[in-house]
Amino acid sequence: MSNENIVKIENLIKRYDQAGVIALDGINLEIKKGEFVSIMGPSGSGKSTLLNMIGALDQADEGSIQVSGQNLMEKKDFSSFRSKEIGFIFQLHNLIPNLTASENVQIPMLQTNNSDEEMVKRATELLGSVNLGNRVDQVPTKLSGGERQRIAIARALVNHPSIILADEPTGALDSKMGDIILELLREIHEKENMTLILVTHEEYVAKKADRIISMMDGKITSENCTL
Amino acid sequence: MKFRSLIIKNIFRNKSRSILAIIGIAIGAAAILGLGLVTDSLASSTQQALTTGAADFSVLPSSFGGHGSGGGFGGGSGGGFGGSSAFNGSSGATFVSAGQTIDQSTLNSIQQMPGVETAAGVLRSATELNGTTQPLTLLGIDSQDLSLDDVQITNGSAFTSSNQIILGSTAATGLNKTIGDQLTFDNQTFIVVGIYETGDFMSDRGAILSLSTLQNLTNTTGVSQILVKASNGTSPTSLSSQITQNYTNLTTSTSLSGFNRMNNGIQIIESGSWAITLIALLVAGVMVVATMMKSVSDRTREIGVLKAVGWNKRRILALIIGESMILASIATVIGLIIGVGAVEVLISSHILNGIHIALSLNLVLEAVGVALFLGIVGGIYPAYRASRLAPTEALRYE
Repeated sequence: MSNENIVKIENLIKRYDQAGVIALDGINLEIKKGEFVSIMGPSGSGKSTLLNMIGALDQADEGSIQVSGQNLMEKKDFSSFRSKEIGFIFQLHNLIPNLTASENVQIPMLQTNNSDEEMVKRATELLGSVNLGNRVDQVPTKLSGGERQRIAIARALVNHPSIILADEPTGALDSKMGDIILELLREIHEKENMTLILVTHEEYVAKKADRIISMMDGKITSENCTL
Repeated sequence: MKFRSLIIKNIFRNKSRSILAIIGIAIGAAAILGLGLVTDSLASSTQQALTTGAADFSVLPSSFGGHGSGGGFGGGSGGGFGGSSAFNGSSGATFVSAGQTIDQSTLNSIQQMPGVETAAGVLRSATELNGTTQPLTLLGIDSQDLSLDDVQITNGSAFTSSNQIILGSTAATGLNKTIGDQLTFDNQTFIVVGIYETGDFMSDRGAILSLSTLQNLTNTTGVSQILVKASNGTSPTSLSSQITQNYTNLTTSTSLSGFNRMNNGIQIIESGSWAITLIALLVAGVMVVATMMKSVSDRTREIGVLKAVGWNKRRILALIIGESMILASIATVIGLIIGVGAVEVLISSHILNGIHIALSLNLVLEAVGVALFLGIVGGIYPAYRASRLAPTEALRYE
C-alpha cells in the first residue's frame, strides 16, 4: 500500500429526484493505492451507490470525486475509464450463459486492441490463477456458484485494472464458498498490489479488509482499521 | 474470441426467437423476389408474345400516294393502300395501285444496314374476282416474312409456289372458300392453301400471295412498304431515325398504341405487386423490430454488465445491429430460395401457364438490398435503446 490516494471524495451528494431520496449525503473519503477497504452498512445505507460512483457507473449531483487521478465530475464518456481502471465483481456473477468460461473472461478485452491469441492466453492464465484451469471451455450453466464467481473475478482482472470493486461478492454463496472467494480476493489483492473495495452488509466479510467504512442513511458513520 | 463470434453466438442463444425473425425477413425477401419474378416474367413474356416476329416499324415513301382507308395490314400504322389510281394488270384485270413505291435497290440497301435483323418488302394492291364485283385486297410478301406482318396461319400452310394463295378468315367466310378451293382473278387461278388471321378486320378481308407474283400481276418492280425488325441490342427508334436521315424520300411509322396498352397493364401488375410486397415488408419489419427489442429487453442486465466492463455505446450498437444484420442475411438467402422455389412450383404446376421465368441480377440485388436494409433498420432502434441504457439501471433489471 502506498501513501498515494487512488480515490479522493469530497462532499459528494447524490439525490434520486423521483423518490426525493438523498442516497449520498456529503461523503468525504480517501482510499490509498493498494488498500483493501470494505464498505459496510444495511440495505439503503448508500454503500452500493458509493461504489457505483467510484466505478463511474453513476454520476453525483454535487461535490468532487477523483479516481486514479481522473475527475469523474468533469468526464462525460466513462467507457474508457471503466475499461482501463476498474474491474467489477457483482453479487450475481452476471456471466453470459452461452459463452465458455474463457470467452466470458475475454469480454472486457473486446473493447481493447488485443489480438485473439493474446485474449485467449490472458483468459487461460487468469482462469488458472483462480483454480479453474480445467474449466476453461465449460459454459457457466455447468459450473457451481463458486466457480461462476471465480470466472467473474478473472473477468474483473483481465484488463489489469487499478481498482477492483466488489459488490456483495459472497452474497449469493454459502459461507464455505464465500470464505474461499474472499480468500482468493485477498490473495489477488496482495499479489497484484491492487486496490480492492468491497461492499457488504455482513460484518465477518467486512473484517477481511484492512479498513471498514460504515455507512448509514447516505453518510459515513465510522472508519475502523481492522489491522 | 472475435467480436463477430460473439455476435453469431448471441443469435443462436435463443433459437425460437431468431427463427421467428428469420421467417419474418425471409417472407419479405421471398415476396420481393417471388412477386417481382412473376411480374418481370409476365412483362417479359407478354412483350415477347406481342413482338415475336413482328416488325418494329415500317418504312414508307414520304409522299405516300393516295388516301386509303388506313386499315391495311398490320406491322405499322401506315398500312393501307392508295385508292386513287387504277390500272390494268398483266392479263387485263383492273388493279388498284398502292401509290408510290420503294425501288428494289433501296430495299436491298436497307436490308444491308447495320442493326437491321430483317427488312421485308410488301406490296399492297386490290382487285376484283373474275366474274364478280367482289373487291379483294391483296398483299404480296415472301412467305418466310409473314410473321413480320403479324400473320398467323390458323388452317393449312403458307404458299410455296406462285399459284398458291392464303385467304384471310373474313374473306374465306365471305367467299365461302376453304383449303384446296380455287380463286380466280386477273384470269389466273390460285389454289387456297391456308387461312390466316391478323386480328385486324381489314387485313382479314384480304388475301396474301408471294411478292414476286403480285409484282408480276401489277407490273410493278418496287414495294409499297418495308417491314423492319431491329436486331437484338439495337434500338428501333434510333434505327428508324437513321433510315429517315439516310433516305430523305422515305418515312417510318410505328404503332405504339398496343405497346402503351401493354405497358399500362404491366404497370398495374407491378403496382399491385409492390402493394403486396410493401405489406410483406411491413410485417417483416415489425417482426425484426419486435424480435430485436425482445432480445435487448431480455439482455438488459447483460448490457449493463458490458457497459460496466468498459464497452462503449458504439460497440453495443455494433453488437445489436450486427446480430440484426446476420439474421437478415440468413433470412435473405432463405427468402431467395423460397421466392424462386415458389415461382418454379407455380410454373411446373401450370398455374402460371405461358410465363417464362426471367430471373435478373437486378431483381436478386433488389431483394437482397431490401432485406438487409430491413435488418439494419429493424435493429437500429433496439440497438439505440440498448446503447442509451444507464448501467446502474440495467444492472438492477430483473
